[in-house]
Amino acid sequence: MTRHANDPVELSIFQCAVHSIAEEMGAALRRTALSPNIKERRDYSCAVFDGRGRVIAMGDHMPVHLGSMPMSVQAAIAALNFGPGDLAVLNDPYAGGTHLPDITMVLPVFLEGDLEPAFFVANRAHHADVGGKFAGSMGPATTIDDEGIRIPPTRIVRGGRVDREVLDGILRNVRTPWEREGDLDAQMGACRVGEQRMLQLAAKYGMGKLNALIEELLDYSERLVRAELRQMPAGEFDAEDWLDSDGVTDEPIRIAVRLRIDPEAGALDVDFAGSSPQVAGAVNAVRAITLSACFYVLRCLLAEDAPATEGILRPLTLHAPEGSIVNARPPAAVAGGNVETSQRIVDVLMRALAMAVPARVPAASAGTMTNVTIGGIDPRTNEPFAYYETAAGGMGARPGLDGISGVHTHMTNSLNTPIEALEYAYPFRVRRYGYRRGSGGEGKFHGGDGLIREIELLADAEVTLLAERRRFRPYGLAGGGEGAAGGAWVTKTEAGEEVELPGKCSVKLARGDVVRIETPGGGGWGRRGTDNQGIS
Amino acid sequence: MRIAIDTGGTFTDCVCFVDGELRVVKIFSTPGDPSRALLEGVRLLGGGANVEVRHGTTVGTNTMLEQTGARVAFVTTAGFEDTIAIGRQAREKLYDWFAAAPICLVPRELRFGVTERVSAEGRMLRAPADEELAALLEAVRAGSAQAAAISLLFSFANPATEQRIEAQLSGLGIPVSASHRILPEFREYERASATVVNAYLAPRMQSYLSALERRIAEEHRGGRVDVMQSSGGIIPARVGAVEPVRTVLSGPAGGVVGACRVAQWAGFERIIGFDMGGTSTDVFLANARTGAERTREAVVAGVPVGVPMLDIHTAGAGGGSIARFDAGGMLRVGPESAGADPGPICFGRGERATVTDANFVLGRLDAQSFLGGGVDLDRERTLRMMRQQKGALATVEEFAAGILRVVEMQMEKAIRVISVERGHDPREFTLVAFGGGGPLHACSLAAALRIPRVLVPRLPGALSAIGILLADNVRDFSRTVMLPGSEMENLSGSFGELERQGVTEFAAEGFAGVADRSVDLRYRGQGYELNVVYDPQAPERSIEAFHALHRQRYGFADAARPMEIVSLRVRMIAASEPYEPERRALVPGDGGAALSAEREVYFDGGFRPTRFYRREKLAPGDVVNGPAMITEYTAATLLPPECKASVDGLGNLVIDIGEVGG
Repeated sequence: MTRHANDPVELSIFQCAVHSIAEEMGAALRRTALSPNIKERRDYSCAVFDGRGRVIAMGDHMPVHLGSMPMSVQAAIAALNFGPGDLAVLNDPYAGGTHLPDITMVLPVFLEGDLEPAFFVANRAHHADVGGKFAGSMGPATTIDDEGIRIPPTRIVRGGRVDREVLDGILRNVRTPWEREGDLDAQMGACRVGEQRMLQLAAKYGMGKLNALIEELLDYSERLVRAELRQMPAGEFDAEDWLDSDGVTDEPIRIAVRLRIDPEAGALDVDFAGSSPQVAGAVNAVRAITLSACFYVLRCLLAEDAPATEGILRPLTLHAPEGSIVNARPPAAVAGGNVETSQRIVDVLMRALAMAVPARVPAASAGTMTNVTIGGIDPRTNEPFAYYETAAGGMGARPGLDGISGVHTHMTNSLNTPIEALEYAYPFRVRRYGYRRGSGGEGKFHGGDGLIREIELLADAEVTLLAERRRFRPYGLAGGGEGAAGGAWVTKTEAGEEVELPGKCSVKLARGDVVRIETPGGGGWGRRGTDNQGIS
Repeated sequence: MRIAIDTGGTFTDCVCFVDGELRVVKIFSTPGDPSRALLEGVRLLGGGANVEVRHGTTVGTNTMLEQTGARVAFVTTAGFEDTIAIGRQAREKLYDWFAAAPICLVPRELRFGVTERVSAEGRMLRAPADEELAALLEAVRAGSAQAAAISLLFSFANPATEQRIEAQLSGLGIPVSASHRILPEFREYERASATVVNAYLAPRMQSYLSALERRIAEEHRGGRVDVMQSSGGIIPARVGAVEPVRTVLSGPAGGVVGACRVAQWAGFERIIGFDMGGTSTDVFLANARTGAERTREAVVAGVPVGVPMLDIHTAGAGGGSIARFDAGGMLRVGPESAGADPGPICFGRGERATVTDANFVLGRLDAQSFLGGGVDLDRERTLRMMRQQKGALATVEEFAAGILRVVEMQMEKAIRVISVERGHDPREFTLVAFGGGGPLHACSLAAALRIPRVLVPRLPGALSAIGILLADNVRDFSRTVMLPGSEMENLSGSFGELERQGVTEFAAEGFAGVADRSVDLRYRGQGYELNVVYDPQAPERSIEAFHALHRQRYGFADAARPMEIVSLRVRMIAASEPYEPERRALVPGDGGAALSAEREVYFDGGFRPTRFYRREKLAPGDVVNGPAMITEYTAATLLPPECKASVDGLGNLVIDIGEVGG
């Protein structure tokens, strides 16, 4: 150990500096990207890694990228023999990616004259289209080959020069190449910002001191998690929950977990044995998603501003059976694993955790991002339009606090589109947007209510839904009731009848039809009229 | 006579010109009734008949922070009653399962829907019957609302129904705020939120400002009261009472205007402002000539405010921030603050180490000059308690130096957010340091950011008041039009309407202002806009300016892409009479006459003998080398070794940062 380790002041300053590098990369990406999904919904993440590919800082961006960013860097290191001036691109969910629209860039940072990288910087952004059978690359495919272009770790920049063949190879396989090129450029630029800042940091500290600080930072994150685990009861805690279906068949899909908490070692073993095999529909999660969900749950147990580093995962051992819904193998389709299955994995982890530390875990939140896509021809301009949005639901009740109504929870946090913006941009008239009263689970503390949104179509259109929690409702805890199931209905103007829509479907509707979407409420906490003695 | 008065948490600063010289009076604030200190200040400065009082008020901010505003009824299009509570459906803290529900200023039982609808094009699709509005009046009355806010979908495109409801509710005798007047722009939540904030503040601001106007008029015949807006312009108190949402960050806006004016006089154009207070620190980036950028995304006490405000970034650390070691053994400073009560350890009541205590034990607070020696600082108690809290660190001094390094790192990060992250290089700026703690930390912060120069204005503790004194009279008008870019040539009618509104309102005040026209533009499909100047003689230049700004800000532009004209803006400005401060000749000197003591101050691992100077005794042309402390009534400037401060002809300290920490 050098003199600099175990210095609480240096550690604090170093953590702040390296986190600010990740944030600066994010600002650069946001500033220079082209597409609204990156600029406005901020669906991206940036991170900094040491020379061994261990994450030392991540910007406060998307929770679903927490565990999966490190896997991208590991995959790139494993696949490529990096030299100075190289930069890798990848999106293959089976080699460091999550789902195809998430494209990751990895840049090795070399100090002058070195042959091995001293650091890596990386960023990931959700692209609006990466080809495949369905516009937007998020459709109901049944194999990964139909979901879009699949990029293994590949050098897109070699020795400082962009490999035009690689770039063109990507652009020729997507629907909006002009926009993609702009976004990819922005990602490369953001990596360079990170590279410059890391080189400055290395010059300021010197590599000897910097490496000592990195070890200290990783140890520090580990200590924070172990300190939490040491206060938990020893034992095995089993929980399960279900996805309604994969959209191809009606079979429910089981996700099961066993947590083994070892407070003496400050260690946690998470085993998903017993979870369903991977399925034909696009709700399979790759291991990176499952790891992200574990990372997220551990992170939430810690103080608000704990740095998201590799150290957080050290006390964790993850078993995710190969070929299962939580660790799918090719050629399973995975688009929805990111948005729907990730939420259910969190629900299962929290349900098990609640058995160990009931006073610290909320009941289940909505558990679905309720993805809605509407496409058609806008009669005002005669041009095609495509609208995509996720709808929030109810947050689960907390011990001591009601859940919040109509808010995005867990693995996502995107903003809604203002109604006035929506009616300017699309041939819709929103008829209603409000809380879905009474949808939150009953209890001593109530689950948050879901939302109701009614959209009248002013043009013929195709409406696609990818939503969950229709059959298996968000659970309550400590005797609290379940949140209400989600639902969607269409009122046909011509026939004057109301038709219910399944959670995963694509339907052609006519001008004047009204789609009503109701999102699930959160589960309740505690039995009504009791004071839940014995929980502390 | 014109007097500017800025109410702060501790002090009320009062400034005016007497024979071309700035006069400043600082008196303790009277939080129970802020106008008491204000009236006293006016008396002390000798404001006679026809006195013109300009006020930077915290009444609005405090009402928001303490949640003590009115019981507001919210009226909107039926089916959308909850939108004021739903907001943007995102959560503020990503990883906090126990976060409190976001604040909604309207209680659930006071959210009312009216069956009406206007289309995006401004077409009236459905209007409510008179009976429904009569019933609404009774319901609002029965709910014992103290103020009402009306915000209907697309009311900026067609305000007819909003106006009918406004007329109906005026029968209640409570303040009624309508969104097409407060913020006639698209995005229903932000517009409604601004309108609700306005209603929430209206009753209290109306009674405060009208009482103030009355008392000023009673004491000083012909006296009048104006207030500072958050956007950096002055409006009459009468307008501030009706549109209080425009004044929520009145004082900080004064600081921005003051910093810009002082920097301009001193000959610096690109500045970063740094105002460190007790619980938080404000930073901003500005061009001294044209002012700071304005934002429409400001959030006060968790609530979006929507109306244009100067873009000030706040970091949650200041002099009162508490230091602690967390569960992993890392030193953290803030966001918890000791505030005024119990305050830092050295003030005698606090028991947890703060940034102020760290400065004290390192010799950087001069007990004699601190607040004129009016506060006793307890050295023994501070050392004892800090020793108990220093954790694994070897000495109290190391602990204290660590606290300062950590808090300065947080300030550095805040400045990087407003500079580097927005494409600006700090090396091209001058750091303007003010507020109680700014001058103490400015030099080491500048060194860390490689900012070559620090400007500590004369009277750094009264800069907000000075800014208020010098600010222009400004009124902002806007309207969302949502037109294709090809309509750029045909905006004169819409601009004309906005301008007539401005000219009429200014005429009522006896002003003849000029109109600054600008447009918010975007590429079609984008969800954010950029504001560019609009020249009625050459409208196409706005489009060129947009492409150029887009390229600068976002790195690309595309002239072929279709554009949208989102909103039109007219800013009516009646400039304050120009003021040119007197410059005194520079007489080379070493400040010897101002030398008050030599004491030990801690720098980089050890105490060093350090000269202390009295700021008021330094003369233009004096040059002081670090290490030194330059003390004055409410602030102290720390000059580390290698730094060199010169007093310019205006009495400002201009500090050359040298090689510190470089």
